[in-house]
Amino acid sequence: MSSDAHPASAVRPERGWIARRGWRVGIVVLIAVLPLVFQDSYWRTNLIVCSINIMLAIGLDFILGYAGQLNLGHSAFYGIGAYASTLLITKLGVPFWVAFVLAVVLSGTAGMALSIFAVRLRGHYLAIASLAFAVIVHQVLLNWISLTQGPLGIYGIKPPPEIALPGLPPISFSDPSNMFYLVAGFAFLFYLLLDQFVRSPIGETLTAVREDEVSASSFGINCAGWKVFAFGIGSALAGAAGAFYASFVGTLVPDAFIITESFTVLAMVIVGGVGTLIGPAWGAILLTLLPELLREFGDLRLVLYGAALTLVVLFVPGGMVQAMQILRTRIGRLLAAADGGMRP
Amino acid sequence: MVTVALQQTINGVVFGSLYVLVALGLTLIYGVLVQINFAHADVVTIGAFAAYFFTFAFGGNYLISIGVALMVGAALGWVVNAAIFAPLRERGSELLPLIATIGVSILLQNAMLLWFGPIPYAFDSPYSNQVIRLWGGTFITWQNVIIVVVSTLTIVLLYAFMRFTITGKALRAVAQDRETAGLMGINPDQLIMLTFVIASALAGMSGAMLGPILVLTPFAGTTVIVKAFAIVIIGGFGNVEGTIIAGLAVGLIESYTTQLINPGLTDIVVFTLLLLMLALRPTGLIAEKREENV
Repeated sequence: MSSDAHPASAVRPERGWIARRGWRVGIVVLIAVLPLVFQDSYWRTNLIVCSINIMLAIGLDFILGYAGQLNLGHSAFYGIGAYASTLLITKLGVPFWVAFVLAVVLSGTAGMALSIFAVRLRGHYLAIASLAFAVIVHQVLLNWISLTQGPLGIYGIKPPPEIALPGLPPISFSDPSNMFYLVAGFAFLFYLLLDQFVRSPIGETLTAVREDEVSASSFGINCAGWKVFAFGIGSALAGAAGAFYASFVGTLVPDAFIITESFTVLAMVIVGGVGTLIGPAWGAILLTLLPELLREFGDLRLVLYGAALTLVVLFVPGGMVQAMQILRTRIGRLLAAADGGMRP
Repeated sequence: MVTVALQQTINGVVFGSLYVLVALGLTLIYGVLVQINFAHADVVTIGAFAAYFFTFAFGGNYLISIGVALMVGAALGWVVNAAIFAPLRERGSELLPLIATIGVSILLQNAMLLWFGPIPYAFDSPYSNQVIRLWGGTFITWQNVIIVVVSTLTIVLLYAFMRFTITGKALRAVAQDRETAGLMGINPDQLIMLTFVIASALAGMSGAMLGPILVLTPFAGTTVIVKAFAIVIIGGFGNVEGTIIAGLAVGLIESYTTQLINPGLTDIVVFTLLLLMLALRPTGLIAEKREENV
């Protein structure tokens, strides 16, 4: 992949502690306040869907933007996570959090398996191989009726169990605001985890593998190993998103994990800004809320969605992150010009 | 048993020859540009709708409607290349055009959904109910005869064009090495446009022929295109002969799976074969000296 898709990976100047660390406190406060601002269940539902989509988008971006692996099968890992956790709970009676961990591990393993299998494939071949994997997973979910109930779907999936802390009233996750705290908390945790990865030498190694595999190997980097690692982490996050999706929505049908779902997550990554972490998170929020805000346009909103994706690729391939940078330099230049005008 | 096998072979060849037409377009585009065009699916669908409206709204002849769909497809190919691939070419990224065409595909599908609605259209070709009885109880409809004859003719014409005309030779030269072809006085931009127009014309006309044998909805092309990707890979990206063999093979495998195992499993069988192919022989059935993606 060429470097033009990653215009936002420029080095930032050192800033003070508040600027560097303060945003984390800001996000925690924001997560705490949001359900209080949005009292109705419609918007609380949207907030939870946003958090699930952030997990999917940053996971895909870790594979696509950092490791440079063209993965079109993200919907498969999402589906594996959702079905694995649900079936472990309903068929084997495994407690929710154990099932959650197993589902995350299983999705991650599936991602690593696909990556090991496709280790010789690059670019478009990997894109089609991962697409084929997503088609197979969707078809298995549809046709393995004795296990998944096929197109009829699984109903009545329970939310995560109540958490009873001593001396406090039990926290029930059938309350959407508590569910939001749980899912958004995990999304933030995953974001911090990937942020640590990306800022550590791991991030630089992945970038080296992405930009030029031959010279990366000549520095002794195990390219195949790092690709498998990125695939494992990204698909494990998709598995976590799937487990939360199932326990939140309460219903599972195979068509929730159809291949176009991969394209939707891909659009979030691209519109936000591929190769950055904050970009896909913003992209997930924008592309989750925008269709809801455009609901009065009816079916036209998806036409606009497609048009937006195309126009972003054509004119701002770095997505919202690049658009913000352009805007910042323009405003900076305008301010400088105004400054110069006042002091001749 | 023999009758069933024969009947499934006929059905397999019918679907296979349409898959070949769609996949050939993809492989031609890949040959000259090394890019994947997701909007190809919607050219198929729009071709099917163009033929439908030409036949039923304007009372046109079904055979002429195949020509109409061909023209509509060609025009769409011109637009997609001019709007998406030409501006993105100098960036040299393999990710951006792919995503842009996914965007175009979402746009076109939902625009069709808006105009035509989600309810499947009954595209009854006048030839669908005319049956020719063959030996041992097998039969073939005239519609299927038309499909096989038109596809075969088109494929032969395309093959002759690529082999024996100066333009075809120039196209192959651009596919092998765009820069050197440019030095030889070939205008690559024109030829890439020509490739897009030919590829999309094939997709449009296969839509017109698929319409009567598939469920015609705004998403009809998508089911075909995913298989066409599989065929292109199994045959070897950019390889015309391989694509023809792989397309017929996939049509046959599908129809035998439907008969012998379970209709729900056709996609699983086809895509498992695709993954096996990628693992064992990633250059495709007919190996070509194009190693950079593998």
